Amino acid sequence: MKTDLPSSPNGQPGPDEVPVELSSRPTVVGGKRVLGVVPGKPIAGERKVIDRDDTVMVWPHLLVRHAVAAMVTLLTVMVISVFVDAPLREVANPQNTPNPEKAPWYFAALQELLARFHPLVAGVLVPGAIMMGLVALPYIDRSNFVKPRHRKVAITTFTTFMVIWIILTLIGFMFRGPNWGWVWPWEEWHGEL
Amino acid sequence: MKVMDHGTTGRGDAPPSAIEKARQTTVGKSIFRGPRRVTPRDRAAGHWASFLLHLYPVKMRRREIHFRYSWYLGVISTVLLGSLVASGVYLMFFYVPSPAQAYTNIQTIQTEVAFGQYVRNVHRWSAHLMVLAVAAHMARVFYRGAYKPPREFNWVIGVVLLLLTLLMSFTGYLLPWDQLAYWAVTVGTEMADYVPLIGEQVKEMLLGGPVVGETTLLRFYVLHVAVLPLALVGVLTIHLWRWRKDAMFDQQAEDIDED
Repeated sequence: MKTDLPSSPNGQPGPDEVPVELSSRPTVVGGKRVLGVVPGKPIAGERKVIDRDDTVMVWPHLLVRHAVAAMVTLLTVMVISVFVDAPLREVANPQNTPNPEKAPWYFAALQELLARFHPLVAGVLVPGAIMMGLVALPYIDRSNFVKPRHRKVAITTFTTFMVIWIILTLIGFMFRGPNWGWVWPWEEWHGEL
Repeated sequence: MKVMDHGTTGRGDAPPSAIEKARQTTVGKSIFRGPRRVTPRDRAAGHWASFLLHLYPVKMRRREIHFRYSWYLGVISTVLLGSLVASGVYLMFFYVPSPAQAYTNIQTIQTEVAFGQYVRNVHRWSAHLMVLAVAAHMARVFYRGAYKPPREFNWVIGVVLLLLTLLMSFTGYLLPWDQLAYWAVTVGTEMADYVPLIGEQVKEMLLGGPVVGETTLLRFYVLHVAVLPLALVGVLTIHLWRWRKDAMFDQQAEDIDED
Protein backbone atom coordinates (compact mmCIF):
# COMPACT_ATOMS: atom_id res chain seq x y z
CA MET A 1 0.00 0.00 0.00
CA LYS A 2 1.27 3.40 -0.86
CA THR A 3 1.89 5.78 1.96
CA ASP A 4 3.41 9.20 1.96
CA LEU A 5 6.00 8.10 4.51
CA PRO A 6 9.43 7.71 2.99
CA SER A 7 10.70 4.18 3.38
CA SER A 8 13.02 1.82 1.57
CA PRO A 9 12.08 -1.88 1.29
CA ASN A 10 13.83 -2.71 4.56
CA GLY A 11 11.77 -0.23 6.48
CA GLN A 12 14.38 2.40 7.25
CA PRO A 13 14.86 5.69 5.45
CA GLY A 14 17.49 5.52 2.78
CA PRO A 15 20.25 8.15 2.77
CA ASP A 16 19.16 9.77 -0.47
CA GLU A 17 15.52 10.11 0.40
CA VAL A 18 14.00 13.51 0.84
CA PRO A 19 12.86 14.15 4.40
CA VAL A 20 9.16 14.64 4.93
CA GLU A 21 8.08 18.18 4.88
CA LEU A 22 5.76 18.69 7.79
CA SER A 23 3.07 21.06 6.73
CA SER A 24 0.18 22.46 8.67
CA ARG A 25 -2.01 19.81 7.08
CA PRO A 26 -1.69 16.57 9.17
CA THR A 27 -0.20 13.55 7.40
CA VAL A 28 -2.73 10.74 7.43
CA VAL A 29 -1.73 7.09 7.12
CA GLY A 30 -4.37 4.36 7.10
CA GLY A 31 -6.90 6.69 8.65
CA LYS A 32 -4.52 7.60 11.49
CA ARG A 33 -2.77 10.94 11.94
CA VAL A 34 1.02 10.77 12.05
CA LEU A 35 2.37 12.80 14.94
CA GLY A 36 5.98 12.80 13.98
CA VAL A 37 8.82 11.14 12.13
CA VAL A 38 11.47 9.69 14.43
CA PRO A 39 15.00 9.00 13.15
CA GLY A 40 16.52 5.55 13.67
CA LYS A 41 15.57 1.93 13.03
CA PRO A 42 12.05 0.55 13.37
CA ILE A 43 11.26 -0.75 16.84
CA ALA A 44 10.57 -4.23 15.49
CA GLY A 45 14.13 -4.41 14.18
CA GLU A 46 15.55 -4.52 10.73
CA ARG A 47 14.41 -7.12 8.25
CA LYS A 48 17.43 -9.23 7.62
CA VAL A 49 18.34 -11.92 5.17
CA ILE A 50 18.50 -15.26 7.01
CA ASP A 51 21.88 -16.88 6.54
CA ARG A 52 22.90 -20.42 7.34
CA ASP A 53 24.26 -19.60 10.77
CA ASP A 54 20.95 -18.24 11.94
CA THR A 55 18.75 -20.45 14.00
CA VAL A 56 15.35 -21.58 12.83
CA MET A 57 12.51 -23.17 14.77
CA VAL A 58 12.84 -26.95 14.94
CA TRP A 59 9.10 -27.18 14.38
CA PRO A 60 8.41 -27.15 11.49
CA HIS A 61 11.80 -26.85 9.75
CA LEU A 62 13.60 -29.89 11.18
CA LEU A 63 10.61 -32.00 12.16
CA VAL A 64 9.07 -32.15 8.69
CA ARG A 65 12.43 -33.27 7.34
CA HIS A 66 12.69 -35.93 10.03
CA ALA A 67 9.15 -37.06 9.27
CA VAL A 68 10.06 -37.53 5.61
CA ALA A 69 13.25 -39.41 6.56
CA ALA A 70 11.19 -41.66 8.87
CA MET A 71 8.60 -42.39 6.18
CA VAL A 72 11.24 -43.19 3.56
CA THR A 73 13.00 -45.51 6.05
CA LEU A 74 9.80 -47.35 6.98
CA LEU A 75 8.75 -47.61 3.34
CA THR A 76 12.13 -49.15 2.47
CA VAL A 77 11.78 -51.72 5.27
CA MET A 78 8.22 -52.52 4.17
CA VAL A 79 9.16 -53.02 0.53
CA ILE A 80 12.14 -55.25 1.39
CA SER A 81 10.00 -57.24 3.83
CA VAL A 82 7.23 -57.81 1.31
CA PHE A 83 9.59 -59.16 -1.33
CA VAL A 84 12.42 -60.86 0.60
CA ASP A 85 11.82 -63.46 3.30
CA ALA A 86 14.15 -63.78 6.29
CA PRO A 87 16.25 -66.93 6.01
CA LEU A 88 15.43 -70.02 8.07
CA ARG A 89 17.65 -73.07 7.63
CA GLU A 90 17.22 -76.57 9.12
CA VAL A 91 16.86 -76.86 12.89
CA ALA A 92 20.10 -76.37 14.86
CA ASN A 93 22.20 -79.53 15.02
CA PRO A 94 25.34 -79.44 17.18
CA GLN A 95 26.55 -82.66 15.53
CA ASN A 96 26.51 -81.21 12.03
CA THR A 97 28.95 -78.35 11.50
CA PRO A 98 28.27 -76.52 8.24
CA ASN A 99 31.15 -75.74 5.93
CA PRO A 100 31.92 -72.85 5.79
CA GLU A 101 31.03 -71.83 9.32
CA LYS A 102 30.22 -68.13 9.14
CA ALA A 103 29.78 -65.44 11.78
CA PRO A 104 27.14 -62.72 11.17
CA TRP A 105 28.22 -60.31 8.41
CA TYR A 106 29.23 -57.50 10.81
CA PHE A 107 31.82 -59.84 12.36
CA ALA A 108 33.01 -61.12 8.96
CA ALA A 109 36.04 -58.81 9.00
CA LEU A 110 37.11 -60.19 12.39
CA GLN A 111 36.63 -63.74 11.14
CA GLU A 112 38.72 -62.96 8.08
CA LEU A 113 41.47 -61.54 10.31
CA LEU A 114 41.32 -64.68 12.48
CA ALA A 115 42.04 -66.79 9.42
CA ARG A 116 45.16 -64.74 8.69
CA PHE A 117 46.73 -63.82 12.00
CA HIS A 118 47.34 -65.25 15.46
CA PRO A 119 44.06 -65.34 17.41
CA LEU A 120 45.48 -63.07 20.10
CA VAL A 121 46.15 -60.41 17.45
CA ALA A 122 43.01 -60.84 15.37
CA GLY A 123 40.55 -61.68 18.12
CA VAL A 124 41.74 -59.45 20.96
CA LEU A 125 44.28 -56.80 20.00
CA VAL A 126 42.66 -55.58 16.77
CA PRO A 127 39.06 -55.28 18.04
CA GLY A 128 40.34 -53.84 21.33
CA ALA A 129 42.46 -51.30 19.50
CA ILE A 130 39.55 -50.34 17.23
CA MET A 131 37.24 -49.71 20.17
CA MET A 132 39.90 -47.82 22.13
CA GLY A 133 40.79 -45.81 19.04
CA LEU A 134 37.17 -44.84 18.41
CA VAL A 135 36.60 -43.85 22.04
CA ALA A 136 39.82 -41.84 22.14
CA LEU A 137 39.37 -40.19 18.72
CA PRO A 138 37.93 -36.84 19.91
CA TYR A 139 40.67 -36.58 22.54
CA ILE A 140 43.51 -37.44 20.13
CA ASP A 141 42.32 -35.28 17.24
CA ARG A 142 42.39 -31.86 18.90
CA SER A 143 42.84 -29.78 15.73
CA ASN A 144 40.49 -26.85 15.78
CA PHE A 145 39.00 -27.44 12.31
CA VAL A 146 35.95 -29.20 10.96
CA LYS A 147 36.37 -28.86 7.19
CA PRO A 148 37.97 -31.89 5.48
CA ARG A 149 40.63 -29.80 3.70
CA HIS A 150 42.05 -28.74 7.07
CA ARG A 151 42.02 -32.26 8.54
CA LYS A 152 44.00 -34.26 5.99
CA VAL A 153 45.77 -36.51 8.51
CA ALA A 154 42.61 -37.41 10.45
CA ILE A 155 40.56 -37.96 7.28
CA THR A 156 43.25 -40.09 5.62
CA THR A 157 43.76 -42.26 8.70
CA PHE A 158 40.06 -42.81 9.31
CA THR A 159 39.33 -43.48 5.63
CA THR A 160 42.20 -45.96 5.37
CA PHE A 161 40.96 -48.00 8.33
CA MET A 162 37.36 -47.80 7.16
CA VAL A 163 38.18 -48.98 3.64
CA ILE A 164 40.32 -51.85 4.98
CA TRP A 165 37.47 -52.85 7.29
CA ILE A 166 34.87 -52.75 4.49
CA ILE A 167 37.11 -54.84 2.20
CA LEU A 168 37.74 -57.42 4.95
CA THR A 169 33.99 -57.56 5.67
CA LEU A 170 33.18 -58.13 1.99
CA ILE A 171 35.88 -60.80 1.70
CA GLY A 172 34.66 -62.66 4.79
CA PHE A 173 31.02 -62.29 3.77
CA MET A 174 31.11 -63.10 0.05
CA PHE A 175 34.50 -64.41 -1.02
CA ARG A 176 34.95 -67.25 1.44
CA GLY A 177 33.61 -70.75 0.87
CA PRO A 178 34.26 -74.26 2.23
CA ASN A 179 37.28 -74.48 4.58
CA TRP A 180 37.49 -70.68 4.35
CA GLY A 181 38.90 -71.03 0.83
CA TRP A 182 38.57 -68.27 -1.75
CA VAL A 183 35.42 -68.35 -3.94
CA TRP A 184 34.01 -65.91 -6.47
CA PRO A 185 30.57 -64.78 -5.34
CA TRP A 186 29.17 -65.00 -8.87
CA GLU A 187 30.19 -68.67 -9.03
CA GLU A 188 29.36 -69.86 -5.50
CA TRP A 189 27.40 -67.84 -3.00
CA HIS A 190 28.11 -68.37 0.70
CA GLY A 191 26.99 -65.07 2.20
CA GLU A 192 24.30 -65.40 4.88
CA LEU A 193 22.15 -62.67 6.32
CA MET B 1 -3.26 -0.56 6.05
CA LYS B 2 -1.70 -3.86 6.86
CA VAL B 3 0.95 -3.73 9.51
CA MET B 4 4.27 -5.08 8.35
CA ASP B 5 5.11 -8.02 10.54
CA HIS B 6 8.69 -8.62 11.43
CA GLY B 7 9.55 -12.25 11.89
CA THR B 8 6.14 -13.55 12.90
CA THR B 9 4.19 -16.19 11.10
CA GLY B 10 3.06 -13.85 8.36
CA ARG B 11 -0.51 -15.14 8.41
CA GLY B 12 -1.90 -12.33 10.50
CA ASP B 13 -5.10 -11.66 8.59
CA ALA B 14 -5.39 -14.98 6.77
CA PRO B 15 -8.73 -16.77 7.11
CA PRO B 16 -8.63 -19.55 9.74
CA SER B 17 -7.42 -22.88 8.41
CA ALA B 18 -9.30 -26.16 8.80
CA ILE B 19 -7.00 -27.12 11.67
CA GLU B 20 -7.66 -23.77 13.32
CA LYS B 21 -11.41 -24.33 13.03
CA ALA B 22 -11.07 -27.84 14.43
CA ARG B 23 -9.17 -26.43 17.40
CA GLN B 24 -12.04 -24.13 18.22
CA THR B 25 -14.55 -26.97 18.65
CA THR B 26 -15.30 -28.45 22.08
CA VAL B 27 -13.30 -31.58 21.29
CA GLY B 28 -10.48 -29.55 19.74
CA LYS B 29 -10.20 -27.36 22.80
CA SER B 30 -10.02 -30.45 25.01
CA ILE B 31 -7.10 -31.89 22.99
CA PHE B 32 -4.99 -28.80 22.31
CA ARG B 33 -4.44 -26.74 25.41
CA GLY B 34 -3.55 -23.10 25.23
CA PRO B 35 -3.89 -20.51 22.51
CA ARG B 36 -2.53 -20.58 19.01
CA ARG B 37 1.13 -19.66 19.19
CA VAL B 38 2.04 -16.80 16.90
CA THR B 39 5.16 -14.94 17.98
CA PRO B 40 8.53 -16.74 18.00
CA ARG B 41 8.76 -16.35 21.75
CA ASP B 42 5.33 -17.83 22.19
CA ARG B 43 6.06 -20.72 19.83
CA ALA B 44 9.31 -21.49 21.64
CA ALA B 45 7.42 -21.62 24.93
CA GLY B 46 4.89 -23.98 23.38
CA HIS B 47 7.64 -26.23 22.05
CA TRP B 48 9.33 -26.28 25.44
CA ALA B 49 6.10 -27.21 27.20
CA SER B 50 5.21 -30.09 24.86
CA PHE B 51 6.01 -33.57 26.13
CA LEU B 52 7.06 -34.99 22.77
CA LEU B 53 8.68 -31.89 21.31
CA HIS B 54 10.87 -31.35 24.37
CA LEU B 55 13.09 -34.17 23.10
CA TYR B 56 14.19 -31.74 20.41
CA PRO B 57 15.95 -28.41 20.79
CA VAL B 58 13.65 -25.44 20.17
CA LYS B 59 15.88 -23.93 17.54
CA MET B 60 18.76 -25.14 15.44
CA ARG B 61 21.31 -23.54 13.17
CA ARG B 62 19.93 -23.55 9.66
CA ARG B 63 22.90 -25.33 8.11
CA GLU B 64 22.51 -28.24 10.55
CA ILE B 65 18.97 -29.17 9.57
CA HIS B 66 19.60 -29.94 5.90
CA PHE B 67 19.96 -33.44 4.48
CA ARG B 68 23.50 -32.75 3.29
CA TYR B 69 24.64 -31.99 6.83
CA SER B 70 23.81 -35.27 8.55
CA TRP B 71 22.09 -37.41 5.89
CA TYR B 72 19.56 -37.93 8.74
CA LEU B 73 21.35 -41.17 9.70
CA GLY B 74 20.72 -40.66 13.41
CA VAL B 75 16.99 -40.30 12.97
CA ILE B 76 16.99 -43.22 10.52
CA SER B 77 18.72 -45.41 13.16
CA THR B 78 16.15 -44.35 15.76
CA VAL B 79 13.23 -45.06 13.43
CA LEU B 80 14.67 -48.52 12.72
CA LEU B 81 14.95 -49.08 16.48
CA GLY B 82 11.25 -48.20 16.76
CA SER B 83 10.43 -50.62 13.95
CA LEU B 84 12.45 -53.31 15.78
CA VAL B 85 10.66 -52.74 19.09
CA ALA B 86 7.23 -52.88 17.43
CA SER B 87 7.91 -56.00 15.38
CA GLY B 88 9.90 -57.61 18.22
CA VAL B 89 7.06 -57.28 20.73
CA TYR B 90 4.72 -58.94 18.26
CA LEU B 91 7.12 -61.85 17.74
CA MET B 92 7.53 -62.30 21.50
CA PHE B 93 3.88 -63.33 21.77
CA PHE B 94 4.58 -66.45 19.71
CA TYR B 95 8.08 -67.43 20.79
CA VAL B 96 9.42 -69.63 23.61
CA PRO B 97 13.21 -69.59 24.09
CA SER B 98 13.86 -73.31 24.44
CA PRO B 99 15.61 -75.61 21.95
CA ALA B 100 12.55 -77.86 21.89
CA GLN B 101 10.16 -75.08 20.87
CA ALA B 102 12.08 -72.14 19.38
CA TYR B 103 12.47 -73.50 15.86
CA THR B 104 8.88 -74.79 15.68
CA ASN B 105 7.68 -71.41 16.95
CA ILE B 106 9.44 -69.66 14.09
CA GLN B 107 7.86 -72.07 11.60
CA THR B 108 4.46 -71.39 13.18
CA ILE B 109 5.08 -67.64 13.01
CA GLN B 110 5.88 -67.95 9.32
CA THR B 111 2.99 -70.19 8.36
CA GLU B 112 0.11 -69.69 10.82
CA VAL B 113 0.43 -66.39 12.69
CA ALA B 114 -1.33 -63.44 11.06
CA PHE B 115 1.31 -61.37 9.20
CA GLY B 116 3.91 -63.54 10.99
CA GLN B 117 6.25 -63.94 8.04
CA TYR B 118 6.00 -60.24 7.22
CA VAL B 119 6.66 -59.12 10.81
CA ARG B 120 9.61 -61.49 11.08
CA ASN B 121 10.97 -60.06 7.82
CA VAL B 122 10.55 -56.52 9.15
CA HIS B 123 12.44 -57.48 12.31
CA ARG B 124 15.26 -59.18 10.43
CA TRP B 125 15.82 -56.51 7.78
CA SER B 126 15.39 -53.62 10.20
CA ALA B 127 18.10 -55.17 12.36
CA HIS B 128 20.59 -55.43 9.50
CA LEU B 129 19.71 -51.95 8.28
CA MET B 130 20.13 -50.55 11.79
CA VAL B 131 23.69 -51.90 12.05
CA LEU B 132 24.42 -50.25 8.68
CA ALA B 133 22.69 -46.99 9.64
CA VAL B 134 24.50 -46.70 12.99
CA ALA B 135 27.87 -47.38 11.36
CA ALA B 136 27.12 -44.88 8.59
CA HIS B 137 25.99 -42.32 11.19
CA MET B 138 29.35 -42.68 12.91
CA ALA B 139 31.24 -42.21 9.64
CA ARG B 140 29.14 -39.16 8.73
CA VAL B 141 29.75 -37.57 12.13
CA PHE B 142 33.45 -38.16 11.65
CA TYR B 143 33.64 -36.57 8.20
CA ARG B 144 31.52 -33.64 9.40
CA GLY B 145 33.91 -33.06 12.31
CA ALA B 146 30.80 -33.10 14.48
CA TYR B 147 32.67 -34.82 17.35
CA LYS B 148 34.79 -31.73 17.93
CA PRO B 149 34.40 -29.70 21.12
CA PRO B 150 32.02 -29.40 22.87
CA ARG B 151 30.64 -32.69 21.52
CA GLU B 152 33.50 -35.09 22.31
CA PHE B 153 31.70 -37.07 24.95
CA ASN B 154 28.60 -37.59 22.84
CA TRP B 155 30.86 -39.33 20.32
CA VAL B 156 31.99 -41.68 23.11
CA ILE B 157 28.35 -42.37 24.00
CA GLY B 158 27.80 -43.06 20.31
CA VAL B 159 30.57 -45.69 20.34
CA VAL B 160 28.77 -47.38 23.26
CA LEU B 161 25.55 -47.30 21.22
CA LEU B 162 27.32 -48.93 18.27
CA LEU B 163 28.51 -51.73 20.58
CA LEU B 164 25.04 -52.18 22.06
CA THR B 165 23.54 -52.31 18.55
CA LEU B 166 25.99 -55.05 17.55
CA LEU B 167 25.22 -57.01 20.73
CA MET B 168 21.47 -56.64 20.18
CA SER B 169 21.85 -57.97 16.67
CA PHE B 170 24.17 -60.79 17.71
CA THR B 171 21.99 -62.04 20.60
CA GLY B 172 18.95 -61.93 18.33
CA TYR B 173 20.79 -63.95 15.70
CA LEU B 174 20.63 -67.09 17.89
CA LEU B 175 16.91 -67.03 18.60
CA PRO B 176 15.55 -68.80 15.47
CA TRP B 177 17.64 -71.80 16.55
CA ASP B 178 18.42 -72.94 13.03
CA GLN B 179 21.78 -74.03 11.64
CA LEU B 180 22.58 -70.47 10.58
CA ALA B 181 21.91 -69.11 14.07
CA TYR B 182 23.61 -71.90 15.98
CA TRP B 183 26.89 -71.86 14.09
CA ALA B 184 27.14 -68.11 13.64
CA VAL B 185 26.89 -67.71 17.40
CA THR B 186 29.34 -70.59 17.93
CA VAL B 187 31.89 -68.83 15.71
CA GLY B 188 31.17 -65.45 17.26
CA THR B 189 31.56 -66.58 20.85
CA GLU B 190 34.70 -68.57 20.07
CA MET B 191 36.40 -65.20 19.60
CA ALA B 192 35.92 -64.53 23.32
CA ASP B 193 38.11 -67.60 23.96
CA TYR B 194 41.16 -65.78 22.68
CA VAL B 195 41.06 -63.13 25.38
CA PRO B 196 43.89 -64.01 27.75
CA LEU B 197 43.13 -64.99 31.38
CA ILE B 198 39.43 -64.15 31.46
CA GLY B 199 38.45 -65.30 27.96
CA GLU B 200 37.20 -68.74 28.89
CA GLN B 201 35.22 -67.53 31.90
CA VAL B 202 33.62 -64.78 29.84
CA LYS B 203 32.63 -67.26 27.17
CA GLU B 204 31.21 -69.74 29.70
CA MET B 205 29.28 -67.00 31.43
CA LEU B 206 27.83 -65.93 28.09
CA LEU B 207 27.00 -69.45 26.95
CA GLY B 208 26.14 -70.97 30.32
CA GLY B 209 28.32 -73.96 29.42
CA PRO B 210 31.19 -75.00 27.18
CA VAL B 211 29.08 -74.97 23.99
CA VAL B 212 25.97 -73.20 22.70
CA GLY B 213 22.96 -74.96 24.24
CA GLU B 214 19.72 -74.61 26.15
CA THR B 215 21.14 -72.15 28.73
CA THR B 216 22.70 -70.05 25.97
CA LEU B 217 19.37 -69.66 24.22
CA LEU B 218 17.67 -68.51 27.44
CA ARG B 219 20.51 -66.10 28.29
CA PHE B 220 20.63 -64.61 24.81
CA TYR B 221 16.84 -64.24 24.87
CA VAL B 222 16.84 -62.38 28.19
CA LEU B 223 19.70 -60.17 27.00
CA HIS B 224 17.94 -59.58 23.69
CA VAL B 225 14.45 -58.69 24.92
CA ALA B 226 15.18 -57.09 28.30
CA VAL B 227 18.72 -56.17 29.30
CA LEU B 228 20.13 -54.81 26.06
CA PRO B 229 17.03 -52.89 24.88
CA LEU B 230 16.78 -51.15 28.25
CA ALA B 231 20.48 -50.33 28.16
CA LEU B 232 20.23 -49.16 24.54
CA VAL B 233 17.24 -46.90 25.15
CA GLY B 234 18.82 -45.55 28.35
CA VAL B 235 22.10 -44.67 26.66
CA LEU B 236 20.21 -43.34 23.62
CA THR B 237 18.31 -41.00 25.92
CA ILE B 238 21.58 -39.52 27.18
CA HIS B 239 22.85 -39.31 23.59
CA LEU B 240 19.77 -37.35 22.48
CA TRP B 241 19.74 -35.18 25.59
CA ARG B 242 23.33 -34.15 24.94
CA TRP B 243 22.57 -33.60 21.26
CA ARG B 244 19.75 -31.25 22.25
CA LYS B 245 21.94 -29.37 24.69
CA ASP B 246 24.79 -29.12 22.17
CA ALA B 247 22.45 -27.66 19.57
CA MET B 248 22.53 -24.47 21.64
CA PHE B 249 26.33 -24.14 21.60
CA ASP B 250 28.49 -23.29 18.65
CA GLN B 251 31.28 -25.63 17.81
CA GLN B 252 34.49 -23.81 18.48
CA ALA B 253 36.28 -24.71 15.25
CA GLU B 254 37.99 -21.87 13.38
CA ASP B 255 36.71 -22.82 9.95
CA ILE B 256 33.12 -23.56 10.89
CA ASP B 257 31.76 -20.61 8.90
CA GLU B 258 33.80 -21.21 5.77
CA ASP B 259 32.27 -22.73 2.71
